[in-house]
Amino acid sequence: MDWNKKESDAMELDRIDEILFSEEEILPSSGFLAAVMERVEREASAPPPIPFPWKRALPGFVLTAGVFGWVGVELARLGVPAMKQNAWAMPQLPPGLMITVEEAGWVALSLGLSLASWLLARLLAGRSGLL
Amino acid sequence: MNTAAKAEDDLADVEQVLAGDVRAFEGIVRRWQRPLVNMAWRYCRDRGRAEELAQEAFIRAWRGLKSWRRESSFSAWLFALAANVFCSELKRFPAVNVPIGEIDEPSRPAAQHSILAERLSSEMVRRAVLALPVRYREPVVLYYFHEMDVAAAARTMGLPEGTVKARLSRARALLRRRFPGLEAEQTGMEFATHDAGKEA
Repeated sequence: MDWNKKESDAMELDRIDEILFSEEEILPSSGFLAAVMERVEREASAPPPIPFPWKRALPGFVLTAGVFGWVGVELARLGVPAMKQNAWAMPQLPPGLMITVEEAGWVALSLGLSLASWLLARLLAGRSGLL
Repeated sequence: MNTAAKAEDDLADVEQVLAGDVRAFEGIVRRWQRPLVNMAWRYCRDRGRAEELAQEAFIRAWRGLKSWRRESSFSAWLFALAANVFCSELKRFPAVNVPIGEIDEPSRPAAQHSILAERLSSEMVRRAVLALPVRYREPVVLYYFHEMDVAAAARTMGLPEGTVKARLSRARALLRRRFPGLEAEQTGMEFATHDAGKEA
């Protein structure tokens, strides 16, 4: 072991410790306390936040879930026979419907990802004690 | 005021605030404004910004007072919350954008004898801490803020002590690499003191 190096490292650590430890204290400005209390009182007197209208939103959620469920069923219904025929090509659909189905798939994917990230955020916030 | 008395006052004020007396929060701010502003100062080295950050931390503490579980001291909870606020706020608007490699080392460190020059070099080391990567910067800031208490720094960050020690060690290695002259400066000063002693 290189003891000389170790000794010099220790000496240097002491110097860094000395510099970082000997930080001069600063004093809060005279208006700091009043500024904090003003904000606290403003928040205390503000009306409580409006809760999310779950009851009103529920039909919309149900409808959306129904549409995506239907799209999923249709995709499975059309896709399974094609797979049974060992055909890897897309099922034969009219071109207009094909585009619609593809777009719906992307929308479903993005909604699924949004839902997953929302659930994850809630989970993490719950663990941190914020919820 | 001693720690036990402070803890009792904190508890009493928190109970009062939770019972609806907003003005009781003033006692908490009065007791902790100095430590929190100084802690924020170490994170950004900008006085105005430090007060803004400390104010934000107090507001978050006020909003989340219910979430303080009495298992830990109020100060430990407050410091952990403040560290969280400072980190997230500084992530949005960083205090410095200079990489550590671009911070100059003071020239001819061994020849610096004036108080002013020494202060300048110390300030450069302190600013270099802000240029460290976040994972190393925070342990350094909190370790010295907590008067070199690894356990307290680890509690504030919510990390195991071993992790904090490892990060501190890495941070010091980075600082050492950036300021190799510090050793020479100290050695030079020691020789000067030794020689002066011999002459006397």
